[in-house]
Amino acid sequence: MRLKKIKIGAKLYILLCFLFFYLPIAVTMFFSFNSSKSLTNFTGFSMQWYGKLISDQNILAAVYVSISIAIFSTIISTVLGTITAIGLSKSRRLLKEWLLNINNVPIMNPDIVTAISLMILFSSAGLQRGYITMLLAHIVFCTPFVITSVYPKVRSMDSNLPNAAMDLGATPYQALTKVVVPLLKPGIFAGMLLAFTMSLDDFIVSYFVTGNGVSNISILVYNMTKRINPTINALSTLLILVVALGLIAMNLWPLIKEKKKNRPSLSGKVMRKRSSRKRDKIVFWSVTATITVIAVVCAAQFSAISNKQTLRVFNGGEYMDMNLVADFEEKYDCKVVYETYDSNESMYTKLESGSTYDILVPSDYMIERLIDEKYLKKIDWSKITRKNAILSNLKDNEYDPGCKYSVPYYWGNVGIVYNKNIVDKKDLQQGWNILRNTKYKNQIYMYDSERDSFMIALKSLGYSMNTKDRGKLKEAYNWLIEQKDAMNPVYVGDDVMDNMISGSKAMAVVYSGDAAYIINENKNMDYFVPSEGTNEWADAMVLTKYCRNTDLAYKFMDFFLDSEVSKVNTRYIGYDNSVKSTFEYFRDVEYKGNSGCAPDSSNPANEVFHYQPRKTKEYISNLWTKVKSN
Amino acid sequence: MKNKTIIELRDISKNFGEQQVLRGINLDIYENEFLTLLGPSGCGKTTILRIIAGFEEPSNGQVLFNGENIAKLPPYKREVNTVFQKYALFPFLNVRDNVAFGLKLKGLDDDIINQRVDKMLTMVGLKGYEKRDVTRLSGGQQQRVAIARALINEPKVLLLDEPLGALDAKLRKGMQIELKKIQKEVGITFVFVTHDQEEALSMSDTIVVINDGVIQQIGSPMDIYNEPEKRFVAEFIGESNIVEGNMIRDCLVKFDGIEWECVDKGFKPNEEIEAVLRPEDMDVVDADKAKLTGKIVSKVFMGVHYEYLVETKYRKYKVHTTESYDIGKKIGLTIDPYDIQVMHIS
Repeated sequence: MRLKKIKIGAKLYILLCFLFFYLPIAVTMFFSFNSSKSLTNFTGFSMQWYGKLISDQNILAAVYVSISIAIFSTIISTVLGTITAIGLSKSRRLLKEWLLNINNVPIMNPDIVTAISLMILFSSAGLQRGYITMLLAHIVFCTPFVITSVYPKVRSMDSNLPNAAMDLGATPYQALTKVVVPLLKPGIFAGMLLAFTMSLDDFIVSYFVTGNGVSNISILVYNMTKRINPTINALSTLLILVVALGLIAMNLWPLIKEKKKNRPSLSGKVMRKRSSRKRDKIVFWSVTATITVIAVVCAAQFSAISNKQTLRVFNGGEYMDMNLVADFEEKYDCKVVYETYDSNESMYTKLESGSTYDILVPSDYMIERLIDEKYLKKIDWSKITRKNAILSNLKDNEYDPGCKYSVPYYWGNVGIVYNKNIVDKKDLQQGWNILRNTKYKNQIYMYDSERDSFMIALKSLGYSMNTKDRGKLKEAYNWLIEQKDAMNPVYVGDDVMDNMISGSKAMAVVYSGDAAYIINENKNMDYFVPSEGTNEWADAMVLTKYCRNTDLAYKFMDFFLDSEVSKVNTRYIGYDNSVKSTFEYFRDVEYKGNSGCAPDSSNPANEVFHYQPRKTKEYISNLWTKVKSN
Repeated sequence: MKNKTIIELRDISKNFGEQQVLRGINLDIYENEFLTLLGPSGCGKTTILRIIAGFEEPSNGQVLFNGENIAKLPPYKREVNTVFQKYALFPFLNVRDNVAFGLKLKGLDDDIINQRVDKMLTMVGLKGYEKRDVTRLSGGQQQRVAIARALINEPKVLLLDEPLGALDAKLRKGMQIELKKIQKEVGITFVFVTHDQEEALSMSDTIVVINDGVIQQIGSPMDIYNEPEKRFVAEFIGESNIVEGNMIRDCLVKFDGIEWECVDKGFKPNEEIEAVLRPEDMDVVDADKAKLTGKIVSKVFMGVHYEYLVETKYRKYKVHTTESYDIGKKIGLTIDPYDIQVMHIS
């Protein structure tokens, strides 16, 4: 009786473990079949995301990069690691111990340290970042794992075995391939598998060492999180399936082999042995051939110098419709090397590390900083034929008065999206203080950004959001603390959109463009901008001082000012465009009545962010950390 | 009886770093002989074998194989094969593929390989074990696989590195006989390394006694046992009483204050010598019938014989005899002239 109880307990425990492991995967797979864009609200079955996946050149290229890098780095690091392990076992004890300890350093080192070290190494060596640097980096962090898993096998091997092989007539090379490698096979396989997984999994190192538009799956997905959609789920589902099938095949293979071995009849056996040897050879050569083909295609795709003129564009993730980029390439017979970043700050870091681009698309305060640091080239407006298409108010800005250095791209402000059925219209009069109205306790999403949160607090207190006054910042800090205590808000990132579309909470701090997107998907939502004023932001295209092909760069900027192109682009991005006709079209036709579109910018209390001195930035950063950890 | 030499070691020495493990090794190995390298562990006997096999290069000297210097030839080009100490079978191959390893490297036809593997396995008594996993075999069976794997390549010389070390006593005796039989059957030279003197005595045509990297004595088992030339050989092989004395003249030696007749010649008059007296060669007689007398101080039953310690005026002698005497009895000891082995002091 007791035993039975224990058994049920054990089973339940295992069940819970499995649930814990596999529920997230199951959820991911489930939503890959969602008919709508939401990741949390299942509206019906559809295969559309798989279709999108197959037709998305970016995703396919990334899959291809991930897999080919994993294969190459696995092969190379396995060979390197195995040879090293064998060599190590024969060297003097002191050297051996030293080397083994050194070998452990990269394994224990945090990835980010390895990543930055490699990035610095590559840029100081003047290597052009891209496929080759990523491959080198992967070999670097995979090899120690191979050594660690092969070395114990080498040590436990009877040192007379290779001698025995040579004694029987094997050359040293034959002794290695026919005796040593088969003996070390379990270790080598373990090392290979580790290397392959490490390479396929890697994000941090790849992110730092890549460039020139080469990204693997993890980098792509990371940059996709801005406008997350079930394409990622579809991709994940396919990856999971491939891994699962691979594992099943690996487990079944020995069984199948065993079965074949056990078949009777001696003469048949010899025959089969020969034919199986032949088949092994065929398998070996076909695998080699496949790998070679992949290698050649890779080389062609990533390292060959194309005769076409190229333009290097560095933009935020999901901040340009890639089909339009392809159109541009076709129209001007050129190649656009397109890379993405996740924030202005990480863009700046990348520039500091020595990466060079032709066009960037930073935000207002970052443009101000880049101008200050003389990183940008002046725009020759005579080269831009559609200059008159731009909204005139955008040219008159604080970060770059008169647009000497920048061509406006998208703009908007920050406000509150709210559920019309829950939030009382009268409460909107409270402005930002509605976020402290205890009526809506537990009903609020705050945007997890120190900049925007302090903007809200400062505006609500009647101060400038660009203040450097410690006293005022301290007051803002108290405002945020009090709000947190009173309201218990949830601090979120870009998942706010999905959550608001599914109506999880009554209110959220969002960007106007995101609000437009939310309202479009959920008609119960509305958007308002508090009267105390808000952050009015703008992103613009700029030319770096390293720009090599300014003519092509101007053509690119001009291309995105075209009324049709900007319309298509805006449909993809959802923010307010800088082109007057496009802006008006969305305001009056496509997004008519959507309060997130074309927000009122007449309020004199609205401000533009300026870049802050380092000390102020650090001060705010510390306060924000305290708010969140309070 | 001795044939042509097949391997000659000429003034071989070997250093491992600071340590000299072999010094001035000169050795002729003949066709068809069973030669044993005998010595305590660490004496350098395995190093000699590895130099012949090609795993070590001598620091100095020549290795002549049929008159040609092969000291720098890699192992896979030599016409010798080795049976390793722990057999060194390939664990990922079955019995057949282990044995066939050398032939496969030569690229022979499967049919010929199968035929020869069959023949070899029959010879070592493992027919029917072709598909067995070598790791599942007993020590003796693994031993046979190792021998078959080496012999199938038809070497001119087979090197065996303490091959019986891992077997239990009984199996060991059986394998000794079998090895000798196999050697007769294939008719090639065996170079056998062991630290077990009994094994060496029972199997060898020639024994090479080595100590401290130097050859102490080369000879037939009988020579080595009966006429050890150095104290080390006498002590290492069998049991012995070693006494110091003087050679009066040819065939007359003096020790323990007594002059003894012997058969040894060629010493300087009055040269200081050591004499070897095997315990079984000392005869116990009544006390008044012998020049050398003593008292029994201990008695141990050894199965076939008793071992006594006899205390005489100068020293204690170890004596083996089948007769039983009581402890404390006074007895006399006699030795036949041909049982006294006189050695130069080394």
